Amino acid sequence: MSPRTKGKGASSFGIGTTSVLTETVARVLLLPTVVAAVAILVKGYAQPGDGFAAGVVASLGVMLQHLALGRREAERLAVVRHAPILAGAGLVLSLLVATVPLLLGDPVLTHYPRPGGHVIYLGTLELITPVLFDVGIFLLVFGSVVGTMNAFARTISEEQEYAGPGDSGLEYEE
Amino acid sequence: MTTLLVLPAGIAWIVAAVLAPMDGRKPVWSWIAAAGLAASFVASVLLVFETLEGGPVETVAGGWPEGVGITLRADVLGASFAAVSLAVLLAAFVHEVLVGVRSRTFPALVLFLAAGLSGLFLTRDIFNFYVFFEISMTSAYILTGYREKDPQVRAAFIFAVVNLLGSVVFLFGIAAIYHVTGSLDMEVVAERIARVKPASILPIATSFFVAFSLKLGLFPFHFWLPAVYVGSHPSVAAILSGALANIGSYGFLRFGAGLMPKELGFGALVLLVLGVASIVYGALQAISRHATNEVMAYSAIGQVGYILVALAIGGPVGYAAAVVYAIVNALNKALVFLASGIRGPLAGAAFAVGAFSIAGVPPAAGFVGKVALFQTSIDAEGTFRSAALLVLIFVGSALSFLYSFQVYQRGFLAREGGDNRRPSPRAARTLTVALAVLVLALGLWPEPLLVLGEESANLLLEPPNRGLAEGGAP
Amino acid sequence: MILAVSIVIAVIFGSGAFLILQRDLLRLIVGILLISNASILFVMASGLSRGKAPIYPLDGASVSDPLVQAMALTALVIGSSTAALLLALVYRLYVSHRSIDIEDLSTAEMEAADALERVNVTEFDRGFRDEPVQEEQADERELEKEEPR
Repeated sequence: MSPRTKGKGASSFGIGTTSVLTETVARVLLLPTVVAAVAILVKGYAQPGDGFAAGVVASLGVMLQHLALGRREAERLAVVRHAPILAGAGLVLSLLVATVPLLLGDPVLTHYPRPGGHVIYLGTLELITPVLFDVGIFLLVFGSVVGTMNAFARTISEEQEYAGPGDSGLEYEE
Repeated sequence: MTTLLVLPAGIAWIVAAVLAPMDGRKPVWSWIAAAGLAASFVASVLLVFETLEGGPVETVAGGWPEGVGITLRADVLGASFAAVSLAVLLAAFVHEVLVGVRSRTFPALVLFLAAGLSGLFLTRDIFNFYVFFEISMTSAYILTGYREKDPQVRAAFIFAVVNLLGSVVFLFGIAAIYHVTGSLDMEVVAERIARVKPASILPIATSFFVAFSLKLGLFPFHFWLPAVYVGSHPSVAAILSGALANIGSYGFLRFGAGLMPKELGFGALVLLVLGVASIVYGALQAISRHATNEVMAYSAIGQVGYILVALAIGGPVGYAAAVVYAIVNALNKALVFLASGIRGPLAGAAFAVGAFSIAGVPPAAGFVGKVALFQTSIDAEGTFRSAALLVLIFVGSALSFLYSFQVYQRGFLAREGGDNRRPSPRAARTLTVALAVLVLALGLWPEPLLVLGEESANLLLEPPNRGLAEGGAP
Repeated sequence: MILAVSIVIAVIFGSGAFLILQRDLLRLIVGILLISNASILFVMASGLSRGKAPIYPLDGASVSDPLVQAMALTALVIGSSTAALLLALVYRLYVSHRSIDIEDLSTAEMEAADALERVNVTEFDRGFRDEPVQEEQADERELEKEEPR
């Protein structure tokens, strides 16, 4: 493995240092990624897109922070610190949307308003219960991907701190 | 009634999602998890009664017309497997809570496993089955590493690698079956398979057979099983062998006897040979081992052999015997693994009940299973085959009696007086004894078991009566 | 089309099978991922017999079955989560064994099994699975240490 300098610019996964350009681009790209994710989420009812894809895109934005700026910088985002809670909340939300129809006497996963019913539009977005379900999926995917990556990053950086500079602690002999 | 159908998986799933970010080592969360698991279990038991009285319960998710949406269904077979698996999970989980949970994710994982298992037993859609199957398998991979000592992590790795390959084989089978029949609904698939030439179904049937054999740890596919059962923590071993392995027996019954009966008939001889090989191999290996868990791991290989033999003979008696044996075996295995993890007064007695139930000694529940198997072998066609099977089952039982007694003697009798370690909490021992009493009670009053077996067999033998759903085959 | 897809599936599956036979655990995982992706491609292929892929916007031509796309997506999600799990397991194995060579791991496994046999043959009353008492106490101390967090 190539020698590295450990500093603010070190990536979370021990891949070496990053240049100023990468860091700046990573910072700038965070917001647009989130906007793109929300667009994918909202458009999912008339065009390709859904909560899953949106979650993946949004988590890619956060992953970029990890890779370019390192764990400490990435953890300054509150969503990164509380990713597991987000994932749990997303799953609960989706499950509730799926099971609440049971209380109303309909089968699981029934969506409201029923086909043909009156729908409120917000631009092109139809306000129907599947949107809530997809928001839950979005949170679940985002939370679990970010949470997993954060856990990896934390373990690796703890190991590196333990091993001290100069030894990545990750090398192995072939 | 359709609400009841969703409850076993639904309750466990929601509670699991709530608990996932919490610290499961705190007793509060553990007991909430136990309550959720108990509620799931009660729902599944109610479902068993419901299906016994009124036949299968069905609902199409999302209120879609049938053939479009995913159909959830509970019938006697699925509901009873769900009830047994949830019972085992509940017992093992409460046991672990009483001993002390050491990992923050343990309660949530057990609940995810419960949701996955009850989901897959209560669906009529093959792909939905696969998804729930993966949910339960993934939680099981992590559970195997519970307590995170080196043997446990190694066991988890072996378990995950081998069973992932099994899942891949299963997925290949599902894709192929969808290609051939153009449907994923079990009833439609069964109906269309009956009209397809068996030659094109046989490879698919084989891939399903391999996938489920891997889950069960049948003889040529058993290589991973001893390492995993020995390496994992006793409660987890109880969960793996008493709840997760039910996927294998259920899969054989549902996909073999239910969906592809003709192909099952073609393969009967192979199943018989593999079953017999499993019984003999498992018993002989178990006798040669010393450690309690190792003996019981090999014994598990032998026990599933009996299920396969019953399935190979088939017919109402054979299928009923397979169901009864699978249920009894799940309870036995849970009991012995839990009992092997505790110390103190009555631990030996509880273990003895489980061990002798495995051997088929009356009045334990294992006896009922063995009697059902005897009936099956008498029912088998050909006098020679019947006689050979009778001898085999008798020898198998004798061998299992031998290793059960060896283990009991080594582990519990020889220890008297010399055991100065701290006994396990009283509550944990009481729970294990309660499970032992349940096994004894089922042996003394086997009617419920026999009824479940008989009804399930009738259900499997019923010809697929539903007409072709809309949408032609590709 | 069918031939091309079959060849692709076969090549991916074959590469995966080759990697699974390697000693390096990371390669083994890559092999498993390749094989599971071959199976996902197989799922897609099972519906690709009637026309073009069903991607919006549809231009009136016949499209193949969209259901398999949904199945493939589901299988991919499952595959990615198990991949994360496997990598975590390998990392954990590396931390405890300082190696990701399967030979070293099986040596460790053998040693554990031998120790087990010895304990059980020579010291009956200890019984199996009862970790030595000291280790258990150490375990509990560790637990207490973690508790306040």
